[in-house]
Amino acid sequence: MYDLAIIGGGPAGVAAGIYASRKQIKTVIITDIFGGQSLVSASIENWVGDKSISGFNLAKKLEDHLKVQQGIDIVDGDFVLKITKNKDLFVILTKNNKKIEAKTLIVASGSRRRKLNVPGEQKFEGRGVAYCSTCDAPLFKNKSVAVVGTGNAGLEATQDLLSYAKQIYLFGRASDIRGDASTQAKIIKSEKIKIILNVQVKEILGDKVVTGLRYIDLNKNKEDILEIEGIFVEIGSIPNSELVKDLVLINKFGEIVVDHKTQQTSMRGIWAAGDVTNGLYKQNNISVGDAIKAVLNIQSHLNSL
Amino acid sequence: MIIKVKIYTIPTCVYCKMAKDFFAKNEIEYEEYDVSKDKKALAEMVEKSHQMSVPVIDIENEIFVGFNRSDIEKVLRILKQKK
Repeated sequence: MYDLAIIGGGPAGVAAGIYASRKQIKTVIITDIFGGQSLVSASIENWVGDKSISGFNLAKKLEDHLKVQQGIDIVDGDFVLKITKNKDLFVILTKNNKKIEAKTLIVASGSRRRKLNVPGEQKFEGRGVAYCSTCDAPLFKNKSVAVVGTGNAGLEATQDLLSYAKQIYLFGRASDIRGDASTQAKIIKSEKIKIILNVQVKEILGDKVVTGLRYIDLNKNKEDILEIEGIFVEIGSIPNSELVKDLVLINKFGEIVVDHKTQQTSMRGIWAAGDVTNGLYKQNNISVGDAIKAVLNIQSHLNSL
Repeated sequence: MIIKVKIYTIPTCVYCKMAKDFFAKNEIEYEEYDVSKDKKALAEMVEKSHQMSVPVIDIENEIFVGFNRSDIEKVLRILKQKK
């Protein structure tokens, strides 16, 4: 039985693990992989303390820093399926059939990629529909591709494709580009890129592989078809809050509602940090701070038991 | 006991790196093909996997798209028992 179970191995989960271990709280951390969603980022330039670091190396650093801590149990390559409450304890069930009991929880399970949910998307996944630009961009050498989404992830995908694709269409639903101005400035100069705003993708077309997409111009209410061979989907994320949906208050966006002073959820004994919460900004650095707040608050909670 | 493994990769792909780290840690040799440079390997990869996505891992002719550690551990366990 543990005093604290941390769910997630992104920046929030790892920060919580390091602090909990240093506070000598009997802790277990459960995660599928380390690093969180930034793992696939080619270059992160706002992680404080590193001028530039790849997502892969950030994940390694986080994992290394956690693994030198004393007295913390690490369960990796596994993930939590279900959490139930049994009197004053939480019972965690994992995919590999592990049953773990803990007095308190930090849910730092992050979020996952939002999909378009249009016809053709699932059928052509890996056959022109791609979700990882650092992985798959070179496979679209001299091809015409679309990037859907103008947030930072969409702009980074566009940047990753620049050296390979023949032509890139950047699709956005809003009337302006949402990502960081500095990344915008880097890509906007290229003649390869055509920006198409106020549009919504309706269908992905193809035979064996993607051949095009059907979209609607939201201003003119007019449909059009664009011939492309690849489509990179970067339209944001959905919080991984299902595992505690019967235990804590979750808002209409699927985010766990927390007290921003302490990161406590609506249920005594459960805290949450990082992208799974209703914190206003989803950032690696913020997730770290929030997770630390949670641990410090948990320490006073455990002392009062 | 030798298990034949081929990994089709792209240098910037993290799941490729994770897959390679995994095989190295488990002391299993693999042949690596960088499909961003090797056109023949790219064609072979697409033919095997019917996918335009890396990594593609070929373990004794069983094809995996992406890196799913528990799936691969499972197949390795079975292969080791056989051999």
